[in-house]
Amino acid sequence: MTPSPQDQGNWQRVHPISPLVRGWVAVIGVLVVFGRNTFEDLLRSASSGGRDAVEGPPAWLILAIVGGAAVIFGTVFFLSWYFTRYSVSDDHVRVNSGVLFRQQRQARIDRVQAIDVVQPLLARIFGLAELKFEVADAGKSAMRLSFLRLDEARRLRAAILARAAGLTPLAGNAGAVPEAPEREVMRLSPARILGSTVLSGTTLTLVGAAALLAVLASSVRSWAVLAGFLPLLLGLVAAYWKSFSTEFNFRVAVSPDGVRLHYGLLDTRSQTIPPGRVQAVGITQGPLERLAGWYRVHVNVAGYGVDRSEGGGRSVVLPAGTLDQVLQVLELILPDPGTPDPVGVFTAGLTGKDSDGGFQPSPRRARWLDPLAWRRSGYRATGTALLCRHGVVFRSLQVVPHERTQSLGLFQGPLMRRLRLIDFVLHSTAGPVRPVVHHLDLMQGRQLFLAQASRAAAARRIARPDRWLEAPQPIDQDKEYLHEQ
Amino acid sequence: MREPIDPAGVDFRRVSPRLIRLRLVAKGASGLVLVLLGALPLVLRQTDVWHGFPLWPAVVLPLLVVLAVVWRLALIPRQVRAIGYAEREDDLLIRRGLFFQRVMVVPYGRMQYVDVSVGPLERAFGLASIKLHTASAGTNAILEGLPAAEATRLREQLSARGEAKLAGL
Repeated sequence: MTPSPQDQGNWQRVHPISPLVRGWVAVIGVLVVFGRNTFEDLLRSASSGGRDAVEGPPAWLILAIVGGAAVIFGTVFFLSWYFTRYSVSDDHVRVNSGVLFRQQRQARIDRVQAIDVVQPLLARIFGLAELKFEVADAGKSAMRLSFLRLDEARRLRAAILARAAGLTPLAGNAGAVPEAPEREVMRLSPARILGSTVLSGTTLTLVGAAALLAVLASSVRSWAVLAGFLPLLLGLVAAYWKSFSTEFNFRVAVSPDGVRLHYGLLDTRSQTIPPGRVQAVGITQGPLERLAGWYRVHVNVAGYGVDRSEGGGRSVVLPAGTLDQVLQVLELILPDPGTPDPVGVFTAGLTGKDSDGGFQPSPRRARWLDPLAWRRSGYRATGTALLCRHGVVFRSLQVVPHERTQSLGLFQGPLMRRLRLIDFVLHSTAGPVRPVVHHLDLMQGRQLFLAQASRAAAARRIARPDRWLEAPQPIDQDKEYLHEQ
Repeated sequence: MREPIDPAGVDFRRVSPRLIRLRLVAKGASGLVLVLLGALPLVLRQTDVWHGFPLWPAVVLPLLVVLAVVWRLALIPRQVRAIGYAEREDDLLIRRGLFFQRVMVVPYGRMQYVDVSVGPLERAFGLASIKLHTASAGTNAILEGLPAAEATRLREQLSARGEAKLAGL
């Protein structure tokens, strides 16, 4: 290990039982494999009245195997724990891990995109938590500290967020940072989550599968086809359960460090998205959700990427909310809507058509390409964000702040060329929201393209600094600070 | 040549016409392989290795492949001439495509890094490709067929402007 000059001597280890919490699946697996043989032999000898007992392995062998396994697991776990160390300095979070293949990872604190405190079920039982620190690399490699005691994880989160915000606590005095107070804004009842699970796209799949099954069964006149659908059915049940257990007890809170989301039935997670880290917002409503008048709100955050491994729900900021709740959440993640009438504009974006709410709609000839949804297609630029509206069965509204625009594109295929139509595409960071405006009039699209490019350029010049509690600086000073790196 | 998709008031610089020859060579070579593969049944049939193969598919298949390859090759000059780029004050514009046209604008301040690559064939023609990366995977901004000197100049220019206008994420 090479001690770096910045090493402030505050290297710490994670909680000793962490490897067990992480590796319990392997332990259980080995126990099952070894245990089953032994157990079966025992059973056999018992059922045969002990006559076959001599054939089973002697007790000392079983003990030796169990003991050996314990020693091996213990050693591996001890080494893995011993070699995993982390440190939080004023500018960096560092994690060193690995026994044979050493890994040293460090991330700049002011580049933090989001921080999660995750508690898988087993960790919850032990009062432990994992701290996940996201930087902008599309969800490939977060910094994970697993596992810490829950209060330690929260203290560390507060310290990291305070430093990221630009507050500088006394060096080596991380404990002195009080946790930013949070105010609960919204809490979704279990009934709401159950309802949203039932009204989700999974049900549409189920209905489709059931219809297909009915047709097949009546034409083949045999129930044998049912067997073929069993895996699909199991998959759907699993999807329902996953959606319900992930989103259970969903709470939205706000603190000076950003938006806090808490959710989970067995595994719980609490996410913090600092201000200005939301790259794009997508509000969607499927045909079943419309019956209840609920919307689902997704966000693109640079660190989350399209990572679906952990329940896929990390980018959801509201699983099922009424229009009022959606507007409330939007107010938290886009504090400045850039229009005097945000309620009217966003409502028009969600439910309106044609030029409601000042939206620029697609021309009438777009119906040749888009017979149902052409009246919904449209956009509206406010002072701070671009709103893209589309979809009539699956309604959706995408909001991209001007200062978060990465690049823009125009696209035209041969048919669109004939109809003098054009698609306008906004490139956002990887995530569930892919903003696009379909089938605009050619002139209008070209105009939007150039106007949006200059709006984005203007917004970048006055963008807030990465450290959100510092006062905004003119771009020249920002440059100096960037040269320091 | 001005397409309706091109934004008004922007003059695109075109890439080197040598890219036409480069692509003709590259696509011609892969086309030749395809044609040979397509002609395989006919050859096998004529040499009595695979006697049972019916005559007309054996003849039609290579003809279709030849047609497709010729069509693809014939499009190359126009496709190459459709590639263009324009450096503006705050961003770089890139256009391409004949049937499916695309125009893209990449702000200098959003560029994370710039790739310049030269393959063996490109080196033989004195050309290079340049690719711009932003934080979005959707930004597919690649420019092929730049003369090597122009690629170097563009890279330096882009990096300098990117640094001057750098804006986090």
